Amino acid sequence: MTEEQVFSRVLSVAEVQPGTKKAVDVNGQSILICHSNDRLFAVSNICSHAHEKLECGRMSRGWIACPIHGARFDLATGRAMNPPAKQPIATFPVRVVEDWIEVCVGNRVAP
Amino acid sequence: MAAELEERKALDKGEARCPSAESTQEIIAKDKVAAPGWVCSESYRFMGDEDISTDRYIDPKFAKEEMDKLWTRTWQFACREEHIPEVGDYHVYDIGAYSFIITRVAKNEVRAYFNACLHRGTKLRASGTEGRASEFKCSFHGWSWNVDGTNKGIVCEWDFPHVDRKKLTLPQARVELLGGFVFINMDPDAPPLAEYLGPEFKQHIDAWKLEDRYITVHVSKRFNCNWKLAIEAFLEAYHVIVTHPQVAVSNGDANSQYDVYGEHVNRFISPLGVLSPHLKGKYTEEDILAQFTLGDSSALGSSKRTLGKGDTARQVMADMLRGMFEKATNTDLSGVSDSELLDCYSYTLFPNCFLFPGISLPMVYRFRPDPRDHRWCIYEVLFLRPVPKDGKRPEPAEVTHLADNQSFVEAPGMDPGFGAILDQDTDNLFLQQEGLEASAKHGLTLGNYQEIRVRHFEKAVEKYLAMEPKRPDRERLRQR
Repeated sequence: MTEEQVFSRVLSVAEVQPGTKKAVDVNGQSILICHSNDRLFAVSNICSHAHEKLECGRMSRGWIACPIHGARFDLATGRAMNPPAKQPIATFPVRVVEDWIEVCVGNRVAP
Repeated sequence: MAAELEERKALDKGEARCPSAESTQEIIAKDKVAAPGWVCSESYRFMGDEDISTDRYIDPKFAKEEMDKLWTRTWQFACREEHIPEVGDYHVYDIGAYSFIITRVAKNEVRAYFNACLHRGTKLRASGTEGRASEFKCSFHGWSWNVDGTNKGIVCEWDFPHVDRKKLTLPQARVELLGGFVFINMDPDAPPLAEYLGPEFKQHIDAWKLEDRYITVHVSKRFNCNWKLAIEAFLEAYHVIVTHPQVAVSNGDANSQYDVYGEHVNRFISPLGVLSPHLKGKYTEEDILAQFTLGDSSALGSSKRTLGKGDTARQVMADMLRGMFEKATNTDLSGVSDSELLDCYSYTLFPNCFLFPGISLPMVYRFRPDPRDHRWCIYEVLFLRPVPKDGKRPEPAEVTHLADNQSFVEAPGMDPGFGAILDQDTDNLFLQQEGLEASAKHGLTLGNYQEIRVRHFEKAVEKYLAMEPKRPDRERLRQR
């Protein structure tokens, strides 16, 4: 048995212009697709500190800040960059296939 | 030599200048592309020759008084407007124990809220952070404020019948915007920023258009010395021949020009592309050209430096820099003078800000005391480059915090040559701090001309220290 990554097609590339972000729902998880520093990131839309949504927060230079209490997270690693958060947020593999953004939120066990 | 010294002594105090060397103005007057008025003026005045007392650097009581009297009354560089481009964007600025949320509440309106919950005092945003707020909500019990500073909500309001929410707006420091910088002042009675800086300097900064620049490099480092010693390491070119011998070949150090404006602004102009008067007769124009150093040598690329017949190193460098900076930064420099391309202009805006409006050395420095220890301070250097011709403003560089033992050379984006100069400047600082504490002499002795900026700066310190303490008063700062 092997595990294979399962990617879900979520948005067209044109829907996430540089410097913008968009929240999508994948298998019941709220995921934020971010276009920052000339690349795409997929991270959890939920702040690890007080579980507020990150989608209205400021995104800049590869980080996103929670709009409620100000915790910042590195979009590449999910690392909490400043208080009040200490825990990271989840990050997900993201790819572009035929002008579509695809995100992997879980693996499938293949026979 | 002895006769020359006697001659100098006979001059009125402060009138002596470096003998047998061209003045800065004489050097600039020979340039092909003439310098603007703000460069071609002088504003020196003699301000006394008594020693500067050393208690201000070594006594923790003095540092406490500075916080109560000086920092609560003066205009300070808090952040750049580019840090908060959209409504709701904020940037936390700290000075001593004080902390401010600098936030944009409208396209052309920026506010500075005291960064503390009005319930039990928790900071509403952690120090050193930035972001965009939909509200400023305390992470302890959830009291919350709108971006405009009005109270948004109190959790279990039924338990606070004694609190009038209409009066629960966040206290604010004053804010003024100038040249793309956000300045704040905690004192409701302070003069407006333009008056504080004075009309002459206002003309200078208006000419620079620093609002059209953006931060390409931002580095922060702590030094183990009093904040004023760190500032004063950058106020003169007198130290260049000893501290930075590698640049003296192409720097008019002893013939640099020093000016003071009102009580809060001073400057020097240090001409580059000319030989130090200390080295007269020891180097040729070819040597000067070969050894010319500037803040960002990457702009120079690998181009060859050659001197034609009758050329001066200074003019050849100016011509080279014009083309190279235009190309490297995608900007139009055709109207810029040779002096602005070459020379080092260093302005101090009392108490925490240095501006360098030149093209080759386009820095901003900020100095702050460490609130925990008067023997430590925080220094930041920023490089501000012109926004590209296509008008698309790049995002400002993220700040890099260097560890105490790291070299400036290690900071991302820092030119190695300039990083080495900053290391040389700041490696002396702990020795000076410790030496002042060790010394049997309790005063600093200053040169009348080359060290006038140190005296001018310390006169301003003395002015504020002679005042009564002034702590921020919520009632007067509630709504401006």
